[in-house]
Amino acid sequence: MIVKPPKWPLLFLRWYCREDYLEEIEGNLTELFYRQQNMPSKARALFLYNVLKHFRPAFIKSVNIKSPYNYKAMLRNYFKTSFRNLVRNKSYAFINIAGLATGIAVCMMIFIIIQFQTSYDTFHTNKARTYRVLTQYHHTDAATTTYAQTVPYAMPVALKTSFPQVEDVTPVYASHNDELLVPGDDGTIVKQFKEARGLFYTTPSFFNIFSYPLLAGSYAALKEPNTVLLTKETAEKYFGNWQYAMGKTLKLQSGGFMFDHSTDVLKVSGILAAIPANTDFQMKLVVSINTSYIGYMMANNASWDETTPDFGCYLMLPQNTNEAGINQQLSAFAKKVQSPTNKDSYIIQPLADVHYDTETGNYSNKAISHQLLNVLWLIAAFILAIACVNFVNLSTAQAVNRSKEVGVRKVLGSNKFQLQLQFIVETFLIVTIAVILAAGITILALPYINQLLELSISFSILSSPAIIVFLFAVTGAVTVLAGFYPSIVLSRFSPITALKGKLAAGTVKGISLRRGLVVFQFIIAQALIIGTLVIVKQMDYFINQPLGFDKNAVVNVPFRIDSVRLSKMEYIKQQLLLMNGVQAVSFNSNTPVEDANDMWSTFKYNHATKEEDFKAITKFADNEYVPAYKLALVAGRNLKPSKMTKEFLINESLMKGLGITNPNEILNKQISIWSDNIKCPVVGVLKDFNDRSLRNKPAPLLITTNNTMYNQATIKLGTTNIAATMQSIKTLWEQTFPDFVYEYRFLDDKIDSFYKQENQLAQLYKIFAGIAIFLSCLGLYGLASFMAVQRVKEVGIRKVLGATTTNIVYLFTREFILLITIAFIIAAPIAWYYMHQWLQYYVYRINIGWWVFAAGGLAAIVIALATISYQAIKAARANPVKSLRSE
Amino acid sequence: MKHHSLGEFEELVLLSVAALHDEAYGVSIQDSLVQKLSKNINISAVHVALKRLEDKGFVKSRFGGITEDRGGRRKKYYVITAIGKQVLDSQYELRTSLYNMIPKIQFGQ
Repeated sequence: MIVKPPKWPLLFLRWYCREDYLEEIEGNLTELFYRQQNMPSKARALFLYNVLKHFRPAFIKSVNIKSPYNYKAMLRNYFKTSFRNLVRNKSYAFINIAGLATGIAVCMMIFIIIQFQTSYDTFHTNKARTYRVLTQYHHTDAATTTYAQTVPYAMPVALKTSFPQVEDVTPVYASHNDELLVPGDDGTIVKQFKEARGLFYTTPSFFNIFSYPLLAGSYAALKEPNTVLLTKETAEKYFGNWQYAMGKTLKLQSGGFMFDHSTDVLKVSGILAAIPANTDFQMKLVVSINTSYIGYMMANNASWDETTPDFGCYLMLPQNTNEAGINQQLSAFAKKVQSPTNKDSYIIQPLADVHYDTETGNYSNKAISHQLLNVLWLIAAFILAIACVNFVNLSTAQAVNRSKEVGVRKVLGSNKFQLQLQFIVETFLIVTIAVILAAGITILALPYINQLLELSISFSILSSPAIIVFLFAVTGAVTVLAGFYPSIVLSRFSPITALKGKLAAGTVKGISLRRGLVVFQFIIAQALIIGTLVIVKQMDYFINQPLGFDKNAVVNVPFRIDSVRLSKMEYIKQQLLLMNGVQAVSFNSNTPVEDANDMWSTFKYNHATKEEDFKAITKFADNEYVPAYKLALVAGRNLKPSKMTKEFLINESLMKGLGITNPNEILNKQISIWSDNIKCPVVGVLKDFNDRSLRNKPAPLLITTNNTMYNQATIKLGTTNIAATMQSIKTLWEQTFPDFVYEYRFLDDKIDSFYKQENQLAQLYKIFAGIAIFLSCLGLYGLASFMAVQRVKEVGIRKVLGATTTNIVYLFTREFILLITIAFIIAAPIAWYYMHQWLQYYVYRINIGWWVFAAGGLAAIVIALATISYQAIKAARANPVKSLRSE
Repeated sequence: MKHHSLGEFEELVLLSVAALHDEAYGVSIQDSLVQKLSKNINISAVHVALKRLEDKGFVKSRFGGITEDRGGRRKKYYVITAIGKQVLDSQYELRTSLYNMIPKIQFGQ
């Protein structure tokens, strides 16, 4: 017979078909095939067709292979032997479990942080169609565009009237440093509270867009001026009981940029349920936007050329509206309403991006970039990898000790798969213990994380489904990652060599793999050390870099200017100057350097008809400001004492912005701001100092007098007896302004706070670098101790033949030093590249010097040597008689 | 077997097994059905029906000798069992009795 049934369909049939039917089916199909052998192609096609037609449950082999082994009993045995093995090798078990638990705990904490961060403002029903309006600033140097969440007062109304497709709009003004006076039953003030943040002015539309449930009252009440909604916590804090608070009144002395310093009476018209921790609107009080100065500005300020800090706008679009279309319309609209020199524009930003926009920021100052979240992920993965590597290293090194067990099991009939299963079970047991420990560590560490990163993650997140899934996933992943390779190595032993005891450390394969893994660990650890050093160095630079003014022993005491306090300014100043430790006193609106609280103004220079195309920071300060802060003048003179606005000081940046190089040229020229409301001559040019954080270059600056604009007293203290002086200042303040909460802030503390994010990053890196090096050394210690045991005879013989302790220690450490050096050679360029990239974000930055790398590498080697040397010296000092006596 | 149910195709296969007595195996059953019904029937359908009939105990099987045109595989012969025959009989009776109940209807031309 020449023609034969096609090979592949036949093999397929034999592969899937049940044994008890194969005979019949194959026979019949073959018979049918030969019937048509005159037409081979048709016959083959029919055969294939028939094979496929038989591929049905009735004829397919049962999937569960009936095995002759008793798996259940064996699994129980695996658990038992694994447990005994752990108990027998306590130090080995400890190193493994501690390493894995630390790694998993770090991973878990990072997961919790990321979970929390990505949950921000995701609970709003309309989150997908909610947007924030951003002002797009076009600067003189044209290359950069920056964004801010501040918008002109006219924006919310314009969006409502001129953009029919916008479904709802709400203005939001976040006030600062407000003081709340709570009257008792007889109408006299009984309690005073200062709220640094959390007082928001808005409209009922805010609650149409965002989902914050109400316990009592109504959102609509906010339409009326002088109404307030309190959150449950605030109501309880002020009135003791939130039910009781409804309908009561309280008095508000607003802080921040409120230039009208009246006291407003607010009626409690509603109680909001507790505000979740994961929202960027951390509200305590919500006041009707028609109230007070802000209400007046909303109604009367139609200018499109100025913005007020913290006045923003949110809107809601109907489903599936084209964002780009709105942006185009906004840009066209801006051109129409703004003055011709104003090149600013507006765009909308989805709510989902707000929490991650670190450049623009938000009302909670808790923005976190996607980049940082990714770095955290990466670090979590690396730390977990280091922990797994430890496990793999130790298990494969330990393999020699298990060789007899493997041999016996093989002889008694275990196959490779069963042995692998045994070691996977063992790994699983270790990983499970580690995961439980890690969960415990995380619970203990959570308060510290919250404190360090200023988060408010509650323990309840630990029972969220995502965390449970994460724990199972980690257990599974680590078991596979850490257990797979050792199980293969262990199950591979030939039973004869294993039982003869001929396996020695050197003959176990995987030595080069272990070396590779050690190198990998130290690459990560050293890169993290170098990165940490760079960040810490940059932080030092931020804190210690001279800023061009005196920031030492300068304290600022905020206060509100109203007619009463205005009259007491002179008195306060005299009293302060009488104190022993006070060197100078100045009243002003801002410190020389601010992070985000500056007022920016457009201005006209020298009777020009058009405004200049860049803005200048505008600070109000009396004539004592320049000497108190030791600001340097390059031309002209300081301001003369005045209650009104009469003269301007400018800085070099402003002068250069105007294209002038000789400072004397600009003296006595006129500058006008605020739509020609203020017109004064320039009397002095200040040498540039850092009037913004060191992330940016100095900005153009105007300083002028006007005592209604001052909101803080700057007190320059002597270097001695600061505590006593502060106490007298406090007493003076409380006596003079009894209805005011006394606060103070040292300037250097304030400057430090500008770099809070960098500082947190530095703290995080320190922790991560510490953990990475700890884990790496844990692994190293395990390996060294194991090697010491394995080579005990070799050491004995060497000593008998005349080796000194130094020789032996050298023998042990040589290899590890080589490995760490290789790791350093790889880690250094990687770390340099990433840290160089990171530094590019800052205008003022350090150079990464060679010493950073030297320090990083040296630290790793020293720590590693310290780890190994204990074992190495112990081995080297052992008496050779003991190790050689028995064979 | 709990249920003595019998599908239409199964009944045809069972009848064929009974008719082909001692010569009934997959291909011969298929051949006879193709011939009687004058339509194409796939061998897999026959195999499935035979498997079900055997599971229900209506047929039993034995292996025959090796023949060359089957690639060295033996034939699996099926014969009807006593229960199988009973089922066929009762089916036949049921149908006949039902048929006899049909009144003499004259269909118009």
